Amino acid sequence: MEFTWPWEYDFPPFFTLQPNLDTQRKQLEAWRKLVLDYCRHNKIFVLDVQESISLFQNKAIDRQLSTEGINQVLESLLEYNQIEWCDKAKKQCLVYWKNPQEWGNLIYRYASDKGMTNTVCTFYELTAGDDVQNEEFAGMDQSLLVKALKTLEATNKAEIIMFGGNEGVKFF
Amino acid sequence: MGNIFGNKKTTRITEQDKAVLQLKQQRDKLKQYQKKILSVIEKDKELARKLLREGKKERAKLLLKKKRYQEQLVEKTDKQLDTVEQLVHDLEYAQVEMEVLNSLKTGNESLKEVHKLFSIEDIEQIMEETKEGIEKQKEIDEILAGVLTAEDEEAVDMEFAEIIRQNLPDVPVSDSNISEVELPSVPTEEPKPKNEKIIRKPVPLSA
Repeated sequence: MEFTWPWEYDFPPFFTLQPNLDTQRKQLEAWRKLVLDYCRHNKIFVLDVQESISLFQNKAIDRQLSTEGINQVLESLLEYNQIEWCDKAKKQCLVYWKNPQEWGNLIYRYASDKGMTNTVCTFYELTAGDDVQNEEFAGMDQSLLVKALKTLEATNKAEIIMFGGNEGVKFF
Repeated sequence: MGNIFGNKKTTRITEQDKAVLQLKQQRDKLKQYQKKILSVIEKDKELARKLLREGKKERAKLLLKKKRYQEQLVEKTDKQLDTVEQLVHDLEYAQVEMEVLNSLKTGNESLKEVHKLFSIEDIEQIMEETKEGIEKQKEIDEILAGVLTAEDEEAVDMEFAEIIRQNLPDVPVSDSNISEVELPSVPTEEPKPKNEKIIRKPVPLSA
């Protein structure tokens, strides 16, 4: 299924930061929604800012958001807890079109539906196993997976196991 | 709440869990390996086809040999995967069994605890006391009954009869019909056993 761009994407001023603060706020809101929708549609868990430049430009109308504009959008996303930087250089970020808590709940529901409570699972089988190919969390970045599982750990629904290079989780 | 700094909280991960995890990771690695080999096979097949089209028979044959070897590897990993998964299942099942055993043990122990609460002597005493109580009640009943004179008894009986009469519906008065109803007559003979053979007398056998 093709991603449907919002109407703003074909609207040239959308790619220029608006000086009017009120307008800018609305503009950033639309951008935040676009980034999240785009990542959700393409199942992007980690957004590489350099590589996703195409998201911030529309060649058809020959417009591109400036680096400053991109930063502003990302800052705004950060403010709303919708992204989290992976590194200090701010090159990559986790995109929370679902936040870790929501992911945790989703994974836990999957685990209990499959009768996997009281069972040990590897991270690999949760994100790349044959059984999860149709689940929304298939292909999830491991650092996000750990964050999601930590939210389950906080409510005693799971416990992360890490020893000697082995990583897994046990659901309860 | 003593250890704020270390996160040495009580873990629910057992040694078996760790063993299962290691096995499952081994399984994952085997699966990844298989995926890799399968993609190599796919690539070789394409390449061999291309070589054949170009007329390079020898090289194509060599590639097919390599492909065959890779396929054998896949078969081997399949077998290993089977073994690993079997072991994982066995381990997990053993854990389930252990849990069942543990709950049986707890159940048994609490049953024992409950049994400890009442001894056989206690029960005997209670039963004895109950019996005494019943006997006493009987005595009281008798004494109470004895207080009434024969006249009183008669009056009670009459009152009882009166109440019953009032509560019962009237018997339908249709005496004339009674004679018309034909009832089977009472048999005059003793019922005979159906099979005479059954009541044979035992005859001593000749030696």
